[in-house]
Amino acid sequence: MATTIQQYRKSVTFNMTPMVDVVFLLIIFFLVSSHLAKQETQLEMDLPAADSGAELIDSADRLVVNVLTDGTVMLRGRTVPRGELRQRFTKHLEESGPDLEVRIRSDKSTPFQNVEPVLLRCAQAGIWNVKFAVYRTKDVR
Amino acid sequence: MRYRSIFDRGQGELEVKMTSMIDVVFLLLVFFIWTASFRVIEMSLPSSVSAVAGNQLPQDQAPPPEDDFDDVVIRIQWQNSTPSWQMNSVQVNSLEELRGRLGRIAKIKLDSRVILHPDPAVPLGDVIDVYDSARTIGFKKIHFAASEEI
Repeated sequence: MATTIQQYRKSVTFNMTPMVDVVFLLIIFFLVSSHLAKQETQLEMDLPAADSGAELIDSADRLVVNVLTDGTVMLRGRTVPRGELRQRFTKHLEESGPDLEVRIRSDKSTPFQNVEPVLLRCAQAGIWNVKFAVYRTKDVR
Repeated sequence: MRYRSIFDRGQGELEVKMTSMIDVVFLLLVFFIWTASFRVIEMSLPSSVSAVAGNQLPQDQAPPPEDDFDDVVIRIQWQNSTPSWQMNSVQVNSLEELRGRLGRIAKIKLDSRVILHPDPAVPLGDVIDVYDSARTIGFKKIHFAASEEI
């Protein structure tokens, strides 16, 4: 009788190791996939290089504007006709408030005439927090 | 015989279990390879725009005397796929010379406004070069000139 009880007690003890293994693997998987998902959203571009660039701070009120070499303007990943830029900026400014940051990402070979309208429309809409995406000079050269 | 068996058992316990260690090392390796980002880190370069009416800028203005000017207007031109610079209508031969001049101005008056006026065809990379130089030197007010009629 005594032996059966002892056997029963033994079998109840949990083996935690595989569970911890699996949980750990899942945590790593989700960490890594979220990290990669964030990277994938960026359009591949050869940004200009600068020495005085500041670290990118996470901000909710950021509007990323991609300006392609041919002059196509992409706002939050969607192509926007140039004529609509100003009203789009005004709309975003109303939604996000005065802290709205516009981040211009453009290839270093893009002629300035394609970037200038974006700058101008920002100024006209009243957005003064405009930043250029750049690479650090030492990272590129 | 009895001693030998004890000796054998003792040796068996001394062996290091490699499997679990390799498991862990492999996991760590995979983790670090995945998380290592092979992309270059992106930085931010703050900017501001100065809206100036039409074609006022800047060639028809005579260069003001060096000691009391307020605005430094840098015009970037694009000819034969190379950039050329003009500072307050004075031709500057190289980016280094431009930096030198800006540095000298900064020593006299650091709070003067620097206005960049690139030609439409100038690639953004060359515009950012000048902009970055002015920022590195320490100018706080650097603007882009834009004509209203775009």
